Amino acid sequence: MASQPTITVLYFAAASTATGLTEELFILPETPFPLSTLASLITSRHPNKGLEKILGTSSWSVNAEMVDDPEKTSLRGGEEVAVICPVSGG
Amino acid sequence: MDIGTSSWPSASVEAVEEISEGIAVLTYNPLNSDEIIRSVADDRAGATAVFIGTTRNSFKGRSILNLDDIIAQATCRSGKVVTRLDYQAYSKLAIKTMSNIIRETHAKFSRSTHQAPDLPVQSIIRCSVYHRLGTVPVGEPSIVIAVSSPHRKESFLACEFILEEVKLKAQIWKREFYEGEEDEDAEWKANVS
Repeated sequence: MASQPTITVLYFAAASTATGLTEELFILPETPFPLSTLASLITSRHPNKGLEKILGTSSWSVNAEMVDDPEKTSLRGGEEVAVICPVSGG
Repeated sequence: MDIGTSSWPSASVEAVEEISEGIAVLTYNPLNSDEIIRSVADDRAGATAVFIGTTRNSFKGRSILNLDDIIAQATCRSGKVVTRLDYQAYSKLAIKTMSNIIRETHAKFSRSTHQAPDLPVQSIIRCSVYHRLGTVPVGEPSIVIAVSSPHRKESFLACEFILEEVKLKAQIWKREFYEGEEDEDAEWKANVS
């Protein structure tokens, strides 16, 4: 049996508070999987946690690179995806 | 994995990236300003600009850890008392962002206004950007930036540019914890651009 395409999603700040996790594995239901639909996959696993709003104001990184256009980015499995909430360093 | 108050995300780790233009550091240890200033020392430098950002005891009327402020709080029911600040980073990405900001700063201030236009003189010599992670007690530095340059103007400008860029772009997050509230009510801040 072929291994299922899996990604690791990293949560920081408000996203980790809402999910109660700092990282989570997701099996991609199809490949290529559009990054723009990852938010609904995450939200469906963590319903009623206010994640829609958090993900709506966040950006994404894939393999430690910021994503400019999630509509044009697809996942194939093996990626490290991070939810980048509005930053507050300094 | 669960996130307790005493543990940090596994991706929020210490990191160092040294490039020819300077150094970017993320650390859970207290920042040593003197050491950071020394790290940009250079015999060609006539100026060293330093920014030390410390965690404040108040935010928009919320204040703490200062007796006067605590007394003021008693008469100001809407105020909240900050008991601690926690920082975390996506270190792998944040350290790249910080070193790119250093590179960008060198490119942006590539020439001193004090220099003749065709002299190949560096106007910024070296930049160090240190950001602390974990719990930062009030009054301690959360960020220290040091920039050395032959002339004063460029180091002042570069220091401020680096700070604003780090606040805007580096994948670092700050959470304020308030007295008398549950930890889960602590607020994640956002730097408004």
